[in-house]
Amino acid sequence: MKRLALKAALAAAALAVGAIPAPAQAVVGQPAPGFTLVDSNGKTRSLGDFAGRTVVLEWWNHECPFVGKHYGSGNMPKLQKEWTGRGVVWLVVNSSAAGKQGHVDEAHANALMKEKGGAPTAVLLDHDGRVGRSYGAKTTPHMFVIDGKGTLVYAGGIDDKPTADVADIATATNYVQKALADVTGGRPVATATSRPYGCSVKYAD
Amino acid sequence: MLSAAARTEVVLAGVFALGIGAVPARAQGAAPRHVKASLLAETDAVQPGRSLQLGVRLEMEKGWHTYWQNPGDSGLPTRVKWELPPGFTAGEIRWPYPIRFVSGPVVSYGYEHDVLLPVAVVVPLAIAASEVRFVARVSWLECEEACLPGKAELALVLPVRPSAREGERAPLFAEARRRLPKREPGWRVSAEGAARTLSLAVRPPLGTAVRDAYFYPVTPRLVDYSQPQSLRREGAAVRLELARDPNGAPAERLVGVLVAETASGREALEVDVKLVSSPARTSMEKERKP
Repeated sequence: MKRLALKAALAAAALAVGAIPAPAQAVVGQPAPGFTLVDSNGKTRSLGDFAGRTVVLEWWNHECPFVGKHYGSGNMPKLQKEWTGRGVVWLVVNSSAAGKQGHVDEAHANALMKEKGGAPTAVLLDHDGRVGRSYGAKTTPHMFVIDGKGTLVYAGGIDDKPTADVADIATATNYVQKALADVTGGRPVATATSRPYGCSVKYAD
Repeated sequence: MLSAAARTEVVLAGVFALGIGAVPARAQGAAPRHVKASLLAETDAVQPGRSLQLGVRLEMEKGWHTYWQNPGDSGLPTRVKWELPPGFTAGEIRWPYPIRFVSGPVVSYGYEHDVLLPVAVVVPLAIAASEVRFVARVSWLECEEACLPGKAELALVLPVRPSAREGERAPLFAEARRRLPKREPGWRVSAEGAARTLSLAVRPPLGTAVRDAYFYPVTPRLVDYSQPQSLRREGAAVRLELARDPNGAPAERLVGVLVAETASGREALEVDVKLVSSPARTSMEKERKP
């Protein structure tokens, strides 16, 4: 009820300010921007393919120390395993342009995920950065959670300790873990936004 | 002059690449250092009961930068943890105003080349020792295109004397002070917040014209850093329109640094004002209506 009213209010607000260009990013509470990308196994993946399922988007650059923090420690692979095991779709997105740090081709992406024990549903190659820009992905990692209705329900950091120090993981509050527990438990996401932290996404110039 | 009075020793300085396993070749082994950190004092001695100015200097290789207190879209602020003699207390870093680093849709705030981050230290009235030792554990993120976390443990020994003179690094402190944002009563700043925008009304002192301005937000998660800030002239005053971060957090106040270009040079002003909600559309929204 309350959510419906909120949605209606948001829709009205969106109409009222229709003349203002939409912000160049995905906004929590609104439909997540659609996309179609090819994954590291050559399969075409669209957001629409996963209607009815909870989807996680994780921006990734394996050479970024903040990504290193969460893969080297096993934190990110553990989350991926746990939640894909519970039916959540986990898409890792690589928006590093050719010649930029963290740019990977299909084989390299697969080799890295194998080496690090990563277990996402797919690694999506977004080398022209179009999808990254449409979401307003700023950092690696930058995390987004989309519910089964296609609404963006979380945007922000992986946790509340913006450092590159592995030791901080133990005492951090993992916002993605909490958001997924809320969504899959049928509850509104308690912390729906937070500050993303990390290296800048290495977009094409 | 400085060498006898004040010894600066670098106990440990290192850049730590954290990617475990597949560390890229260029970060393997002895990690290349792109930032040199040092701990400096403005004076050549500690005077009992007189405030002491210490500073962490970061000298950055060309192309590399470190971050301001609010790093913007990416990066981390430089942090200092102190180990001080008994009775001494250190204040927070006083941040010189930053510059912008724009990389596509990612806008960050920080420093390049050389920056001194000053810290005021309260000195006790009575000091038994003839010299005292300060240790600063400094951590930062250094980025070119790639980023590396860096840290250093820096120590400085100063003699305790009833009087002190300027040290040879004093000009660096003077330069840092020139770049500290100031509270200028002649400038009037107020802020309004609408659903998607924030608007800063800036009235300079009589006879001063603002040619350009940029607002560096300290308040976290309020401003969309990647959107351009538009400046409009309103008589003698100017209005700066900022885009709100649509995934941000509500705020009661707008805190930050306004850097204004005037005919007589650059002014960096401390801004800490109540954010008044404006039910009416801001001018930016009005203009864009069909």
